Amino acid sequence: MTEASPIGTSAIERIRDNPFYVLGLRPDATRQAIERQGTKLLGMLELKLKSAGAYPTPVGRAERTVEKVRSAMAELRDPSRRLEHEIWARLDPEALADAPRDVTPVDDEPAPRAADPWPEALAALGWRAV
Amino acid sequence: MSLRPLYVGIDLGTTNSTAAVFDGEKVTLVRNSQGATLTPSVVRIDARGGVTVGAKARRFLETDADNTRSEFKRLMGTAQTLDFKAGKTSKRPEELAAEILKSLRADVKEHLGFVPSRAVISVPALFELPQSAATSEAARMAGFEKVELIQEPVASALAAGWSAEEKTGSWLVYDLGGGTFDVSLLETRDGLLRVVGHDGDNFLGGRDFDAALVDWVLHEVERTQGVTVSRADPKHAAGLRKLKLAVEEVKIELTRATEASLVLSGALEVSGQAVEIDLVVERATLEAVTSALVERSIEVCKRLLAAHGLGPGQIGRVVLVGGPTVMPALRARVREALGAPFGEGLDPMTLVAQGASIYAATAGLDARGEAKVDESGRRVWLQYPAMSSDLTPHVIGRLVDAGQNQGVKIRLSRNDGLWTSPDVALDEEGAFIVTLDLLPRRPNVFKIEAKSADGKVIALSPSAFTIVQGMTIGDPPLSRTVGVALADDAVRVYFARGAPLPAKRTFVHHTVESVSRGSTECLLKIPIVQGELAQAHLCRLVGSLEIGGASVKASLPAGSAVEITLELDRGGHLSARALVPALGQIFEQVAHLLVPDASPDALDATVTAMRGRIGELRIDAMARNAERTIGRLTYVECALIDAANDAEAARGGDADAGQKARRTLLELDGMLEECEADKRWPELESRARRTLSEATIWVGQYGSKSEQMLLEEAAQAVEKARAERNAVELQRQLRVVTNLYNACFQRHPEAWAWMFEDAASEADQATDMVRARTLVQTGRKAIEKNDMDALRGVVQDLWKLLPVSAQKRRLGHDSGVR
Repeated sequence: MTEASPIGTSAIERIRDNPFYVLGLRPDATRQAIERQGTKLLGMLELKLKSAGAYPTPVGRAERTVEKVRSAMAELRDPSRRLEHEIWARLDPEALADAPRDVTPVDDEPAPRAADPWPEALAALGWRAV
Repeated sequence: MSLRPLYVGIDLGTTNSTAAVFDGEKVTLVRNSQGATLTPSVVRIDARGGVTVGAKARRFLETDADNTRSEFKRLMGTAQTLDFKAGKTSKRPEELAAEILKSLRADVKEHLGFVPSRAVISVPALFELPQSAATSEAARMAGFEKVELIQEPVASALAAGWSAEEKTGSWLVYDLGGGTFDVSLLETRDGLLRVVGHDGDNFLGGRDFDAALVDWVLHEVERTQGVTVSRADPKHAAGLRKLKLAVEEVKIELTRATEASLVLSGALEVSGQAVEIDLVVERATLEAVTSALVERSIEVCKRLLAAHGLGPGQIGRVVLVGGPTVMPALRARVREALGAPFGEGLDPMTLVAQGASIYAATAGLDARGEAKVDESGRRVWLQYPAMSSDLTPHVIGRLVDAGQNQGVKIRLSRNDGLWTSPDVALDEEGAFIVTLDLLPRRPNVFKIEAKSADGKVIALSPSAFTIVQGMTIGDPPLSRTVGVALADDAVRVYFARGAPLPAKRTFVHHTVESVSRGSTECLLKIPIVQGELAQAHLCRLVGSLEIGGASVKASLPAGSAVEITLELDRGGHLSARALVPALGQIFEQVAHLLVPDASPDALDATVTAMRGRIGELRIDAMARNAERTIGRLTYVECALIDAANDAEAARGGDADAGQKARRTLLELDGMLEECEADKRWPELESRARRTLSEATIWVGQYGSKSEQMLLEEAAQAVEKARAERNAVELQRQLRVVTNLYNACFQRHPEAWAWMFEDAASEADQATDMVRARTLVQTGRKAIEKNDMDALRGVVQDLWKLLPVSAQKRRLGHDSGVR
């Protein structure tokens, strides 16, 4: 079977869905802190608490869902996959805490370029402006 | 009823079944009415319709075979029914499994004093979705309100981990069952268990050990009496069955004694003369005749370890599961070869049930059922892990009624009185979060209290909750990749193997043909498949969504968008939904398929076809001197003999043998595919070279630094896969390279114009020619105006209308989407 390639998703989505940002943690978080935070967020989402419904990322606020949190926890349990996400979570999400909310689209189409709140974020990661 | 939660786990085995109860501190095995912890998975139905289960039924297995059934687990999820002649009835495998579960449920009731309403049931690691669904259905028929399934190796490791002292390390679960061998690599860190990898041999199990000993006995008979008993002769079938049972008993006896007697009189007859068997079997003999089988299992273990960069001696512990693992020689050899100690004091026969009961705590499946809400207090909605490896987890709560929240403070206290939380104020949503303090490896009961602003106590409902501290496992991993088969025989992966459950994903697809309103002939199929291979026809069809002409509100043109959502719950139950935005309609009727029938004719035809493929592949492999392929073909050829024997037994009415043959043939088909991929290797290698050089040009010219870096990494991975001759990995890496290449190619100012011309040249074959022509005209105008965004949209719409090869579509389970 073919796996959905990470290259196929847009750079914006990659940053926005980074498990560390989803969980509201920095890349140096311990494994236990990840489990604790993930379980806490799942509980908050189950109770429909607004404070858990969105999270800041360097490319704007994003919607937090139960699926995203579960998937983030699973990604960070695997040491090799975690390493990859650590690299992409170097940017401080709070640097743009006031950025407009930007919700992930339902399918895998790239997010519209006009909605990018901080185009420099990509350049900072070595992405070429298109 | 117990004041604190109790958790029930059930190992629904092929030969025996077991139930266990976990109270948060220790696991207790449930004894049945005979006082045994193992209940034989055997059901008998008599002439009056009376059902007998377990040891009582097993007594009739030989004497009343027409009305007594065993080993039906292997038929779960198939349409096969099993007849009970005296009772003039027939039952589906899940109905018989339900009888076993009812019996175990009654035993648990005797043990606990109440009927459990929730439980966890174990299933083999590689059960397919229809088999899992059948297991859940059996549980529902047995009266359980809610069940979750757990993979057997995960359950074993969880049970072993619960009693382990060390918190970190790699574990190997060596599970040798009656017919299959499974090995799983697990990792524990900070009290959390993770499944790292799995391997196995579906043709290796305890029955192979029995067969090896039967062969030795027949050889001894020939040597000492000059009589040849042929296994192929149907006249000997009944006698050989008796010999096999006798040999099984001898094998068990030899786990304790150094020698055992084998006496069988009159069971076999050759040329009218009864064959008397009277032998003394030494343990050394058993060890000698089965040593090759043990070595085969060890090779699988080493292969799994190597795949994860580990060698023997680098694992912390080996957990043995299954009856055959009690053989002293096997234990000694496994210990020596893997260089790791066994888990102490672990019972290989009941470990799975024990683990299932512990997992029930992780999943919060209290056997007592839903707690009754006390209406007297204010309702508080609580979220906390029922089982936590963390000593300081959070509890989150929210007052959900319309009462006053201003100034209300919450306090939690552990019921031993040694820990109390500070007073916590409710936030503007009426919610609170408190960090708890747990005592290790036991159930921790917390009381929850609220006080109003003026210090008055407010009664809360519930007023207490329990968290068990101990090793836990994250969300259960999916055992096989699940996706949607596409019309070009490719697969769109929704959930990759290992994905945490529950899971839900949505992708947008496009129809490849139109569906006319009212037409009964138009049926758009969306096949859901399970498997690890890139081609849909090599994956197993496990369900299908169908959009028929009779159910659509309006005709649906080809190229229409369909949003497909697949959802899997923690037990692996699949649900699917297709939303057609153009119609505003949702289609949810999933045809849950059964495991395909194993008709003897189809099995025979498959065996013959495979023999033909082996012949062709062997000639090619000999010419290339491809030793690896030759070895693999020899293995397939040997296994094919067993499959052919099973197919023959299926013709005689043995449905179980038929299903075994079907599964064997599927596995062998996969192996032959690998050999064929090996044959096509030079072609793949040349494509890899071509793709890489094209990608280097485009990514070098139009790619960012990161993309160039990624290409470099992908090129290294391509090289590694090439060096290892790993076709699956090479194809995967080539997809990464192609994606990069496409992304960069599309940045060329003329790229969309080139792609437009290419698509426009095929417009006369489009599924909707009128629309295709309109799109071509729109595209030409966009080129004139240099409107690349519009052109891009036109090209993407045109692609959706291009035809799909009928042959590929047939292979892709007749999928109607791309």
